[in-house]
Amino acid sequence: MTPLLEMQGVSRVYRARRGLFGTGTPVRAVDHVSLQVAPGRTLGIVGESGCGKSTAGRLALGLERPDSGAVQFRGAPMAAPGTAAWRAERAQMQLVFQDPLGAMDRRLTIAQQVLEPLEIHGIGTAAERRERLATLLRDVGLRADLAERHPHQLSGGQRQRAVLARALATDPALLVCDEPVSALDVSIQAQIVNMLTDLQAARGIAMIFISHDLAVVRLISHEVAVMYLGRIVEQGEAEAVFAAPIHPYARALVSAVPVSGPRRLERIVLSGDPPNPAQRPPGCAFHPRCALALARCRTEDPDLVTQSDGRMVACHRAGELARAAA
Amino acid sequence: MAGLVSIRNLRVRFDGNEALRGVDFDVARGEAVGLVGESGCGKSVTWLAALGLLPGKATITGSVMLDGHELLGAPASQLDHVRGGRIAMIFQDPASALNPVHRVGRQVTEALRLHRGMDGAAARAEARRLFDLVGIPDAGRRIEAYPHEMSGGQNQRVMIAMALAGQPELLIADEPTTALDATIQAQILDLLRRLQAETGMALVLISHDLGVVAEMCTRVGVMYGGRIIEEAAEADLFARPGHPYTQGLLAARPDMAGPRRRLEAINGGVPEPWNFPPGCAFAPRCTVMTAACDAEVPALHTIATGHRAACWRAG
Ligand SMILES: Nc1ncnc2c1ncn2[C@@H]1O[C@H](COP(=O)(O)OP(=O)(O)O)[C@@H](O)[C@H]1O
Ligand SMILES: Nc1ncnc2c1ncn2[C@@H]1O[C@H](COP(=O)(O)OP(=O)(O)O)[C@@H](O)[C@H]1O
Ligand SMILES: [Mg+2]
Ligand SMILES: [Mg+2]
Repeated sequence: MTPLLEMQGVSRVYRARRGLFGTGTPVRAVDHVSLQVAPGRTLGIVGESGCGKSTAGRLALGLERPDSGAVQFRGAPMAAPGTAAWRAERAQMQLVFQDPLGAMDRRLTIAQQVLEPLEIHGIGTAAERRERLATLLRDVGLRADLAERHPHQLSGGQRQRAVLARALATDPALLVCDEPVSALDVSIQAQIVNMLTDLQAARGIAMIFISHDLAVVRLISHEVAVMYLGRIVEQGEAEAVFAAPIHPYARALVSAVPVSGPRRLERIVLSGDPPNPAQRPPGCAFHPRCALALARCRTEDPDLVTQSDGRMVACHRAGELARAAA
Repeated sequence: MAGLVSIRNLRVRFDGNEALRGVDFDVARGEAVGLVGESGCGKSVTWLAALGLLPGKATITGSVMLDGHELLGAPASQLDHVRGGRIAMIFQDPASALNPVHRVGRQVTEALRLHRGMDGAAARAEARRLFDLVGIPDAGRRIEAYPHEMSGGQNQRVMIAMALAGQPELLIADEPTTALDATIQAQILDLLRRLQAETGMALVLISHDLGVVAEMCTRVGVMYGGRIIEEAAEADLFARPGHPYTQGLLAARPDMAGPRRRLEAINGGVPEPWNFPPGCAFAPRCTVMTAACDAEVPALHTIATGHRAACWRAG
């Protein structure tokens, strides 16, 4: 099957001063990332803050242009931003992110916000839009009377549902969900996760699901990519990666998830903080925190290599570690 | 185990709304006990009230005994001695507890002066020792840094060093790793476990993450609607949850192992203090509720050895 979305060797470099690392040095937020999402499938992206997950999501949506590499949607390059073709593509792809209050206009009612994309894209008559609103609210499990409320009059879970209703209004083929449940309580998180799974099953939507919550990603994703400092260090079938991660960083990340009862992976506690992305260590960027690093890792950057089970791992010791894990 | 803190019928009102509705909870010397529950259920307010840290508009009743001495209504001089001395508290956001304009080392020496009467070279040496103890690399140099020059994980270590300055008998850690990345969270939890073993202090770990509490604590209290609704040894709570809310919380969490299953969501949302239901606060979301649940608040009662639940049907 041709992928719905494909990123090939995509890089994005920020030169702006920003936050702590305001030195003016370029930051490779996303570095040679390749990934694919097929219709009806979910790709999870995990990794610690600053590793480039959100940037990868914005590149996938064409909200940002890569400095190098290519992004293809339905087998064709993305349209140039601002053009009519680009706007038409926007309706096909939607972004859902963590902070629903930040994503909404406080002055508009829920109905106005949900219908906004239809108005922008000139879809349907006024009557058709009202009907669509009712369907959308029902699909995301919001009571019809909430339509006339303003965002601050809803609970966090209801706001996230409203944001989803808006994202679904144009019947998109691809949803990029950037930490969509991170701010929600467990019981509400479960409601939203179930809803996303149901919507995907009913509509065949492709999803990129970005989260630092590995258990949620494991549940919702078919495939998963683990990022470290702008690169994908391990990618493969979600259950396989979480059951037996190969890359030492992926192992540390998975083993760090607190669990009740016996753990399957021995806890690996990494020393040190993630490095400053503006000062990427030479060789394998993970080597300063890696307990398994060899001399070679300090100088030679490992490529993402496909292993015997189809998984891709960027580690000089991947073959050896995969055999040990199996 | 000998009792250290004993909370009885603790109630807190804000602007006429009861946020805590009768909390009973004990902490023994040296134990690690977890407090879980979704946001707004009263985890933080319980300990802020116990330590006299709530704003003046809060009306507090009940009893909080530390080693047989009542803390509620105690004179400020006595509370100052308790806070940071016998009981220290750390929070999710170290930035809120650290002073941005002072070097981190100075904040620790200040705590040492306040709680242990240490000054000058002795305080500086002790601050360095504490920085080493909490695993801040290159402690001699980092002591001179400002909070904004350190990462979130390093600032959390500084806050822990400050908390340790008074050699507390109890450390209240309120969501200490919630703002941190997974691998840094693992480091901080490891540190707390090690410090607890080395110093023998008791630990109350407040978290919305059941996994964090499971890994760190031997006993767990579950809060809902301003009350403890279940309390048990960690293994019992996870293996045999008695309260439908606890059961719901466990079923709503995705697992890291085993077959992937559909999550069991709990319907509805957490009630707000101004619209608490008359009986059991969980009744409107409960799948096994009966008429009795709406009529009266179920008391926390023993359902097995060391296991209590506030549900008519538990046990
Ligand atoms: N607009 C921007 N300008 C400058 N730097 C940015 C910008 N957006 C992200 N970055 C930097 O790029 C890196 C990756 O950021 P991001 O994609 O937000 O990571 P994540 O979502 O994984 O936390 C970080 O170092 C971040 O500071
Ligand atoms: N200073 C305050 N003024 C008014 N209400 C408050 C205040 N602090 C907490 N509350 C309310 O008390 C309840 C319990 O809050 P809290 O203990 O912070 O919950 P959590 O379990 O998330 O720590 C919530 O409904 C909260 O809104
Ligand atoms: Mg992000
Ligand atoms: Mg709290």
